Amino acid sequence: MTTATLIRRGLAYYRRTNLAVVAGVATAVAVLAGAFLVGDSVRSSLRRIAVERIGNTQSLLTATNLFREQLAGAFGDACPMIVLEGIVTHQNSGRRASGVMVYGVDSRFWKFHGKASPGIANRDIALSAPLAAELGAAAGDTILLRLEKPTDIPAESLFGRKDDAAPTIRFNAKSVLASSELGEFSLRPTQGSVRAIFVPLDRLQSEIGASGRVNTILTGTTAAPVEQILDSAWTIEDLGLRIKALDEAGVIQFETASGIIPDALADAARSVAGGLGLRVTPVLTYMATTLRAGDREIAYSLVAAIDLAELDERFKDTATDATIVFNEWAARDLNPREGTPVTMEYLYWHADGRLTTEKAQFTAGGVVPIEGLAADRDLSPEYPGITDAENVSDWDPPFPVDLSRIHDRDEEYWDRYKTTPKAWIRIDRGQRLWQSRWGKVTALRMEPPEDQDDEEALNKAATEFRQRLRAVVKPEENGLAVIPLRARNEEAARGATDFGEYFSYFSFFLMVSALLLAALFFRLGIEQRYSEIGLLRSVGFDASRIRKLFLSEGMVLALSGALVGALGAVAYAWTILYGLGTWWSGAVGTSALSLTVSPGPLAAGVMGGVLAAMLAILLTLRGIRDWSPRSLLAGAAAHGVASSKSRARWVAIGAGLAAAGLLAAGGAGAIPAAGGFFGGGMLALVAALALLRARLQTATSRLVRSRAGLALRNLSHRPGRTVLSAALIASATFLIVSVEAFRRDPHALQSDRHSGAGGFPLIGESVRPIYLNPNSERADLNLPETPGLRFVPLRLRPGDDASCLNLYQPQNPRILGLPDSLMKEGRFSFAAGSWKDLEADAADGAIPAVADANSMQYVLHKSIGDELLLPGGQRLRFVAALSDSIFQSEILIAERSFIRAFPRQQGFRVFLIEAPEVGRKETVAAIESALADHGLDVTATADRLAAFHRVENTYLSTFQSLGALGLLLGTIGLAAILFRNVYERRREFGLLAAVGYSRADLSRLVLTENLALLAVSLAIGAGTAALAIAPVLASRGVRFSAVSMGCLLLAVLATGLIATAVATRLALRLPLVESLRSG
Amino acid sequence: MAGPLKILDGIALRAAPGDSLSIMGPSGSGKSTLLSILGALEPPSSGTMRLDGQDPFSMPEPELAAFRNRAVGFVFQDHCLLPQCTVLENALIPAMARGGNAAEDEARARKLLDRVGLGGRLTHLPSQLSGGEKQRVAIARALIREPKLMLCDEPTGNLDRTSAGAVADLLFGLHREQSVILVIVTHSEALAGKAERRYELNAGRLMGLGS
Repeated sequence: MTTATLIRRGLAYYRRTNLAVVAGVATAVAVLAGAFLVGDSVRSSLRRIAVERIGNTQSLLTATNLFREQLAGAFGDACPMIVLEGIVTHQNSGRRASGVMVYGVDSRFWKFHGKASPGIANRDIALSAPLAAELGAAAGDTILLRLEKPTDIPAESLFGRKDDAAPTIRFNAKSVLASSELGEFSLRPTQGSVRAIFVPLDRLQSEIGASGRVNTILTGTTAAPVEQILDSAWTIEDLGLRIKALDEAGVIQFETASGIIPDALADAARSVAGGLGLRVTPVLTYMATTLRAGDREIAYSLVAAIDLAELDERFKDTATDATIVFNEWAARDLNPREGTPVTMEYLYWHADGRLTTEKAQFTAGGVVPIEGLAADRDLSPEYPGITDAENVSDWDPPFPVDLSRIHDRDEEYWDRYKTTPKAWIRIDRGQRLWQSRWGKVTALRMEPPEDQDDEEALNKAATEFRQRLRAVVKPEENGLAVIPLRARNEEAARGATDFGEYFSYFSFFLMVSALLLAALFFRLGIEQRYSEIGLLRSVGFDASRIRKLFLSEGMVLALSGALVGALGAVAYAWTILYGLGTWWSGAVGTSALSLTVSPGPLAAGVMGGVLAAMLAILLTLRGIRDWSPRSLLAGAAAHGVASSKSRARWVAIGAGLAAAGLLAAGGAGAIPAAGGFFGGGMLALVAALALLRARLQTATSRLVRSRAGLALRNLSHRPGRTVLSAALIASATFLIVSVEAFRRDPHALQSDRHSGAGGFPLIGESVRPIYLNPNSERADLNLPETPGLRFVPLRLRPGDDASCLNLYQPQNPRILGLPDSLMKEGRFSFAAGSWKDLEADAADGAIPAVADANSMQYVLHKSIGDELLLPGGQRLRFVAALSDSIFQSEILIAERSFIRAFPRQQGFRVFLIEAPEVGRKETVAAIESALADHGLDVTATADRLAAFHRVENTYLSTFQSLGALGLLLGTIGLAAILFRNVYERRREFGLLAAVGYSRADLSRLVLTENLALLAVSLAIGAGTAALAIAPVLASRGVRFSAVSMGCLLLAVLATGLIATAVATRLALRLPLVESLRSG
Repeated sequence: MAGPLKILDGIALRAAPGDSLSIMGPSGSGKSTLLSILGALEPPSSGTMRLDGQDPFSMPEPELAAFRNRAVGFVFQDHCLLPQCTVLENALIPAMARGGNAAEDEARARKLLDRVGLGGRLTHLPSQLSGGEKQRVAIARALIREPKLMLCDEPTGNLDRTSAGAVADLLFGLHREQSVILVIVTHSEALAGKAERRYELNAGRLMGLGS
């Protein structure tokens, strides 16, 4: 006989109890390792989705403007394409999908990705399967595409196209591409389905007037080599810059395709020109709608702001800030004498989308002949629709023109001089009047030294200027960027949400229940063997050897449980992932998650589970040293009643004080309220259970006078077990009540200005920017004149969804620019900080930013004061956090910061809308109809919040479901305890039966005992949970659902009663009379 | 396959209030089974048992329980006290089964406990009592409902000689005072000898040994 034999015999003889221990450990291991597997599987799935959707792309070159398609040739095996966003309509059904990815591709795209080409050409296109399903489109159907035509000229400048930049293109659906055929190609990682159309590149280029130009090049190499190649391959023209040697004028002119030179670029060009000894003259040309002198006026004249001395030396000393110089033609029309007051009217485009006519007063300062600089047509930038028109009456400008004001003389001037300015003002005055965020010069004219003014010298100087300018201009600062797409997507696939962590939390109660169950059965097993332990002690085994013996048995049981649990973990993870794809799909927005069984997470979970089980077993065995052999031989361990009572009292006092401290600190705002109250509530739960334990041991001080009293007294028979049962029920109640309280009601208080919707019932988002102010320019936008209808337009820099709807870690989140007026209204409520914090600019250049508290904490993983570096180099610093708002998908910055940081993002795409409740549905329909070409979708803010809450509520449901499983295990444990209690008390019941208690009496007695236990447990759980959720209750007023809470508690009560009834029934079936004899 | 085992055979026993009977016999002779039948805990497979003119086994279970409560008092070898209840509470357990006047019950329990010498130990738990004291609580409990029949199964079996003697004296003293039928099953000649009528149970058959 060896120790091993003893262990083997023990394991075999007590196999029933041991199997229960194994089952408990297996459950704990399955739950823990399963949670880890879930986390790993979600990450793997996200990575798979993100990587599959970019095909063979490693990195890409992208630009805010179009650049030369030939640039792709420099990168070898690369694929040029156009990537835009559009609105797609199925002609037959009229079904519309906005925000559809539009890819202009040719055979190189399919070859690059190693996929079979769908053979699209001319007007044939391919659709992604999800888009085809949404539209109900099939091969052969007609598809209408409307998209924002890329333009070099800023749409928010006077000359930018606003109203007709979106041509509608008719296509024929040739095929529907499955995701395996790259139908769901996507440059932005998203777990949701991708709605995309693939259009022939040349057709798209032709439709948008961009022949030979693209905005994206996919490459099969990593970013570093692509950057190196780009460094040598890009040209000035790729950035939309132009350098012209104007032989006639003897100058080099630097301008941009946008018609205005950004300040930084102008400074760089000046510096380069200075280095080459070129004399620089800045020019700012603008359109005056009216030039009026006395009762004469001329319409639609180009006016150039320049150093007037360049026109004529005489102006060097005479020109003032108010001086306006006319050419002979204009002078003939206006007949201004020197000193005559001249009024200039011009259109000005404001940042808030208003177009106004401004006036400026001048004094006629002289007349110049139309020659030399005054005859230079190149002073005006090229504006499509104006500068390329044959006649003035053919103008198609992006601003209102009254053609009735055009006269024959104007046409004649146009015929002879085209864009030659008619009037001139000083550059500094012109810049004060017309400068914009895009810049304050339309051209820089650079004149070589007088001894180098021949054509050859000019060309040489131009070439040198070009080379030096290229050396100082950085492509990435001018919209041409290399993005390490695959690396970025892989980084994003690490996920905003660590599902492993979440499910570990969610499963915590389940795991603890399983471990408690394992420990409980182990303990019951030990209790069955008291006399064996007593015998071993009496024959010379010391306590530590006996403990090792039982620990060895425990180890065998734990490892056996771990083996079974490892298999269970795979099943558990599969079930959870199945649940995420079906029952809880609201939390993940995809059904494409699949199980990946990696040894790492599985081993970590198994080890964690085994360690926890061994710890539970160790704790069970810790008192073995103190048990007396005599009492053990008699079949009972000696319990230090007094010391455990005292210990329980101290635990109650300690935990109670700590709970009070946390609650007070949370209430005073010294620590986060949620943490303070939740921690306080949990400690209060511990304190209450310890108090119960202490009270049970002093229960004999009052005389039992009734059967109910006897039932209550019975609870003190095994106080440890009673408290364990109470702990299981109270913890489950605590969990269910506290979790339920966090369930969000999206319809709550949405009309309140301080709610998450800021009092706006509606929010709209357009695919194409809207440039006109929808309040002041309502008629132009065909918007309804509904009284009470008000829009707050917001600027949007598209990017990754920063909310819990996006499983990927946002690398480049959406940014919204908020006008000062909205911030001054003081709407929404803050978890930290306020709108005022957005006002102050940081001295170090960081942009103050606000995010929703949930997104900041759980998705962006940031805190107040943290910074977020955007791929474009902008640094955002979080200064405030909104509380449960509709802005969970984006980061908010002040509009002025937005304009500075994202000058290329134009117009408004997001609209907060106030609309009267009566007829709101009709108003929404009218708004959407008016702005259908812009792809505006208006939704109720409550629905938007509901989408976020659905995720949160789904997590809570998941938590509750797993908690319910934990409760089920707890109930099994409770039933086991009850059965054990009743079994141990069968002699007592025999006695009671003998003295006249009927079986019904006995059942009632046991039920009363356990009903009391359940009631106390529920009260402890619900009461301490109420403390934990106090801030939530306070913040939501009285909207907490007492009915649903009551139902949940009743469910817990019913579960407990069922367990009691089953245990009692089983126990009372035992032969009670026999038990009386056995003594 | 073995057939049903006959434990008791042809038992005929009659007793009147104030009678005391002792039954001896080797282990397995059916003593406890006989006691269970007499105490209306188990019905006989054939034959009848009547107490106070009533056949308890013809009653439905709740009435049977009530019958036991008012007519029978038990004292077991292992006192069967509820460990969680005090001495006074243990004595009151049968009274609580049927309700009634709690104050009267308590007064009677106090009187009985005083009678058995435990008047000063009312709030003590069983774990704080000696074996003899526990058995005295069991005796007080058996008499709390003033039963017609008091059944004792080895009441001194777990006690030392001194305690056993004291418990025996108490049992018979109370029997006389309460005028109940006392039936004692025991291995103890000394205890059996105190009964007015002595029986031996052997192989299921009851034989009178005289008074």
